[in-house]
Amino acid sequence: MKHKLSLTSLLLAVLVLFTSQTLAEVKFSGYGSIVVGKTFGEIDDPLNPGQTRDEIFTADFYDVGQYDNDLSFKPETVFAIQARSDLGEGLSVTAQLVAKGTDDFEPEFDWYYITYKPTDDWTLLAGRRNIPMYYFSEFSEVGYAYPWMRPPSNLYWWQVTQFNSVQAIYTFDWGDLTNSLNFFYGNEYSDDNKEMLFYDRLFGGNATRIDEIWTNITGFNWNMSGEMFDLRFVYFRNDRDRDTYNPDGSITVADTYDQFFVGLGGVINLDPITLLFDYNYVEYDDVVGTVYPTWLLSAVYTIGDFQPYISYSKADHEQDKEPFVTEDLEEHYVLGIGLRYNFHPQAALKIQYDKFKDQGDAATFYNFHGDAENIAIGVDFIF
Amino acid sequence: MKHTHSIRSVFIATLCTLASLWIFSAAHAQVAVIVHPSNSSELDEGTIKKIFLGKTTKFNDGKIALPLNGAKDSAPREYFNNTVLGRTTNQVNSYWSKLVFTGKGEMPKEVDSDAEVVSTVAANQGAIGYVDPSAVNDSVKVVANF
Repeated sequence: MKHKLSLTSLLLAVLVLFTSQTLAEVKFSGYGSIVVGKTFGEIDDPLNPGQTRDEIFTADFYDVGQYDNDLSFKPETVFAIQARSDLGEGLSVTAQLVAKGTDDFEPEFDWYYITYKPTDDWTLLAGRRNIPMYYFSEFSEVGYAYPWMRPPSNLYWWQVTQFNSVQAIYTFDWGDLTNSLNFFYGNEYSDDNKEMLFYDRLFGGNATRIDEIWTNITGFNWNMSGEMFDLRFVYFRNDRDRDTYNPDGSITVADTYDQFFVGLGGVINLDPITLLFDYNYVEYDDVVGTVYPTWLLSAVYTIGDFQPYISYSKADHEQDKEPFVTEDLEEHYVLGIGLRYNFHPQAALKIQYDKFKDQGDAATFYNFHGDAENIAIGVDFIF
Repeated sequence: MKHTHSIRSVFIATLCTLASLWIFSAAHAQVAVIVHPSNSSELDEGTIKKIFLGKTTKFNDGKIALPLNGAKDSAPREYFNNTVLGRTTNQVNSYWSKLVFTGKGEMPKEVDSDAEVVSTVAANQGAIGYVDPSAVNDSVKVVANF
């Protein structure tokens, strides 16, 4: 945390220094979503047989943004301001101050990076950014940028979403197709990880803090776009470590292992229908052979300013190494139906119904999420 | 009876006038794409589209392109988005929001009026903009009409 703050202040100092020296103009822009929602009913608590509880719908796994039976603005509402300063000679500095309902709207610098364009084809980036994992990962919080209320949350479930990284992006044409290759390397020391502590508590743990550590995150994206489509392939690998702090002051260090992530996602425009899809496969080289196949398929129909849509997203957790082979672990799908109404060039009204179906194994409590039906209504905007 | 008749004539005449006005204005919902007079690069619809979607940053003579957008709610911008880019203004803004907030692109610079597009293009060798054809003057070169 201290590390993060000092980096932020250093970057801000650089920004201020450069700005005052060159009298460079600082451009402000931003985005936000005001969303309110709730779940419908109660279920038998999967972790406490015999008891009932509110249906809980997790809209944001990383920030633990969850709806229950009480109408709430907190799980998904977000405001962000971006400041960008062009320093000349291809160099620019960008920072994003983000305030989320899940953090009681305490603003934090979630993004800060330097961009350098040595030539027209190459872009170099250094600083704090989202990991380019899933097709929608990098702009997952810019609600205005996609049709739904949120990218299907049961796929965007990782406890780490950002990293401090260096990236090189090379753009080139291939016939009529515009391509970009994005190579990245980075690390993330997520001290006192919110999502991991939440699950520790949920399963009756008493950890005081859990550090989630992803290092040597190394990989690339290949983005290809044509007149009617946009496709993106992703591959990366990283080291996984986890330190759990116990009440007696001792630290339990988990076995470390490598993680591999591959995926193919994109958008196909068949006017007036737009198809969006994403398939991803995550594998650990741990003892049990953990794998997570996940996929998403969505269709949007555009009629003037109205865009009704449907989406289906499936997440699975399996083990494929003998003698630990099993499919009776975490498994769920989300079926979402909604409408985006583009009532203003820079704002959209959305309403979405979600059905979360927990297909996890009850005997091993892997059905811990529980079924839920949720309704959410919100406005996304950019400025 | 005569009275009713004349009301009807006025009504029909008004409708005809409105309809012709609508056709007239629809026929004039056009834009001229303009560049600096010294810019001799070839600009077909595909290249113009790529420049305004940030997919290329250069003209084919190698010079850096500076695309200009009209004011937010202006008719030329709406028309250009729909006709040349083939997307609604909302879809264009949504496309740019992905790039702007991930540091992968800068939206075309926005100016306040057609007159300002013309004066900016006249003053910048790499500038490219679109305006209502009536706003064009000798200080700029028209490379396409849509």
